[in-house]
Amino acid sequence: MSTVTLKNLVKDYPNGFRAITDLSLHLDDGEFLVLVGPSGCGKSTALRMIAGLEDITSGDLYVGDRRLNDVAPKDRDMAMVFQNYALYPQMTVAENIAFPLKLRRVPKAERTAQVRHAAEILELTEQLDKKPAHLSGGQRQRVAMGRAIVRHPALFLMDEPLSNLDAKLRVQMRADIAGIQRELGVTTFYVTHDQVEAMTMGDRVAVIKDGVLQQVDTPESIYGSPDNVFVAAFIGSPSMNLFEASLTGNDERGGGYSLVLGDHRLAVPAEVVADRPALASYEGRPVVVGIRPEHLEDASVAPDHPDDQRLDATVDVREALGAETLVHFNLNAQSVDSGDPDALDELRDTGRCTARFSASSPARVGDRIRVNVDGRRLHFFDRQTHLAIRDRAHGAEQ
Amino acid sequence: MQLSRPSVRPSRIALHAIMILLVVWSVTPFVWTAQTSIKFTRDVASKTPVLWGYETTANAYRNFWLDSDDLNMWGVLAFILVVAAAATALGLIGRRARHGWPWFLGATAVICVALWRFPRIWEANDEYDFLVNSVVVTILTMVISLSIGLLAGYGLARYTGISGAVILIVALGFRALPRTAFVLPYFFGAKEIDDWLTSTGVGSWNFPLIDFPGVDTLQILDTRLAIVLALVAVNQPFTIWMLRSFFIEVPKEMEEAAMMDGATRLQAFRKVIIPIMWPAIIATGLFTMLLAYNEYLFVRVLAPTEWTLPVAIVSLTGGESSRTITEAAAASVSITLPIVIVIILFQKHLVRGLGAGAVKG
Ligand SMILES: Nc1ncnc2c1ncn2[C@@H]1O[C@H](COP(=O)(O)OP(=O)(O)OP(=O)(O)O)[C@@H](O)[C@H]1O
Ligand SMILES: [Mg+2]
Repeated sequence: MSTVTLKNLVKDYPNGFRAITDLSLHLDDGEFLVLVGPSGCGKSTALRMIAGLEDITSGDLYVGDRRLNDVAPKDRDMAMVFQNYALYPQMTVAENIAFPLKLRRVPKAERTAQVRHAAEILELTEQLDKKPAHLSGGQRQRVAMGRAIVRHPALFLMDEPLSNLDAKLRVQMRADIAGIQRELGVTTFYVTHDQVEAMTMGDRVAVIKDGVLQQVDTPESIYGSPDNVFVAAFIGSPSMNLFEASLTGNDERGGGYSLVLGDHRLAVPAEVVADRPALASYEGRPVVVGIRPEHLEDASVAPDHPDDQRLDATVDVREALGAETLVHFNLNAQSVDSGDPDALDELRDTGRCTARFSASSPARVGDRIRVNVDGRRLHFFDRQTHLAIRDRAHGAEQ
Repeated sequence: MQLSRPSVRPSRIALHAIMILLVVWSVTPFVWTAQTSIKFTRDVASKTPVLWGYETTANAYRNFWLDSDDLNMWGVLAFILVVAAAATALGLIGRRARHGWPWFLGATAVICVALWRFPRIWEANDEYDFLVNSVVVTILTMVISLSIGLLAGYGLARYTGISGAVILIVALGFRALPRTAFVLPYFFGAKEIDDWLTSTGVGSWNFPLIDFPGVDTLQILDTRLAIVLALVAVNQPFTIWMLRSFFIEVPKEMEEAAMMDGATRLQAFRKVIIPIMWPAIIATGLFTMLLAYNEYLFVRVLAPTEWTLPVAIVSLTGGESSRTITEAAAASVSITLPIVIVIILFQKHLVRGLGAGAVKG
């Protein structure tokens, strides 16, 4: 059984910098967990602590029920794929893949057989006699994978293994790695800064920021109900639109709430309020509201939409992507900084809003358009804490 | 449209002229020496230099190396075999031939036996002992310097703390000091030790099992050991700095990958890092070799009788004894050739080792 448990892991670098704060995670046997976060947030540090390449300042690391804090990397029975692959340049592909077996004194015949098998899985059979310098990026990546899979380790560790590949190859390898992992059933801890990789590959996704774990959940839950503004903005592309807004009661219209967003007013559907009991306590107070671009639609494409869930806007920029069209417009509302250092600055304070319209949308730059807002997909966050407003527990914290 | 030939710019001509000038400037002395070594004394001594058309002779070489007047053909044959063996062995290391080790060890054995038997087969002069001294000192200095340099360079490349920086700067400081500043302290240090050995009687202990040929008393001064120790010490800053700069080029992930694959740190060093470093090791080794092989000052001071070849040659040029200048020239050419052979064999690695980024995967 290779379950992996991280208990309150802390990493202080010698210069006093705290790279990881209180990281607790649990991986089930055979699970594929993706740790995702912006660059410099401590992902590699976390991975390297598990690998044994960095000391653990405090906290505990268990694989199964064996505590590994003070075990040397070579005795942890983990295989790692590095971002730059770290292939041994003086060895051929076959020797690279066989190296872990050689160190374990696996007999030569068996070694050869296993290398062949790994090479077949990874379609490297033709390349076995080449040196890494003569391989393409994708092939090098596969060799690194091969070196990891030949020895059937308890745990795979992968540090952004796809980030050096071009976009097309990345999509292909994404599927390949996930497929191989599923086939071998080896517990996998995968680090990336690419939220698409996280969403498509992971059984569960852990979002981390500045060394602090933000949320761990299935990709669907992370996308559907992010715990805070950072996770909301980080997961999904284009990012969720986040604005400051205020929540007002609708006494004259017989109950319910409205959202005042710059010059705009949106009705909040009753079921949304029912799902979030804590929302009631925010009446008359400012909140952060989030809406994903894919939950906005051109009203001329979908005319059947409640009138009180529409916005008026003027198209600033239009990007036709073929299957869909991205439309940017300004809402005259205050945008919210999610704290993602990789986010584009220009999108921050301008009140700019991005929508993902169907390709049939006729909207052109400069057009006055009406935008349908899918009110059931609105996200609400506390203005101060940036935490999601859901049940009473969260509201009570204020 | 007509394709114009690339125009020969004046700057290019100037560049080539300068390069040709440099080559002539550095090669001329050697050519001159080589010529002198095969001339008769009268041509060398003539007031107007005889540049061509002179009568050639191998007398100078014979006088330098041999004790008798006629060439012993067996000796020459054996000599050619030894050179071939040495060249093969070096060539195998140079190419890092996968199964080269048995060959290399075999060749080394041949060379050792030959070095030991040669004087008898060949009726060699005293100078022959200086050749042996040179070979022993050079190889020992190289091996010891590289061993220390590899470990220290690796450690200092990976450890970036304050004490590491201090060590590096101090090393650089020692490198910057002139050689002459070290010679006398080493001499007096060695002398102190020898005096102590004599006064306590340790110096005249008899080691029945370790019977070093020609060594009656235990001492440091005037031994090859003294030369090797001193050369290793003065050369260490260079090897450490040079090897460290190459280790820095090797990504840390290399040894981390090896350790994840199940290697200890030492195994990672030996099986992954060292093979990557091979060109750097060869380049550093060659520089160390040149330094030890050409050393004059330390040998002259620390070993008044255990000379190496450079000291022997200087002794021919008038200072110590008055043999002819042709003999000194012959000696110079003979001691240069092995170095030329080694450099030619390892040239590829030398260039790779000195070129930046060569060790990257
Ligand atoms: N040896 C070190 N000493 C001090 N600080 C370090 C050290 N290594 C990393 N850090 C800092 O720790 C933080 C986390 O680094 P880490 O490499 O884990 O980030 P990451 O999430 O993997 O980033 P990336 O996506 O760029 O790989 C960074 O701010 C980095 O500057
Ligand atoms: Mg990283």
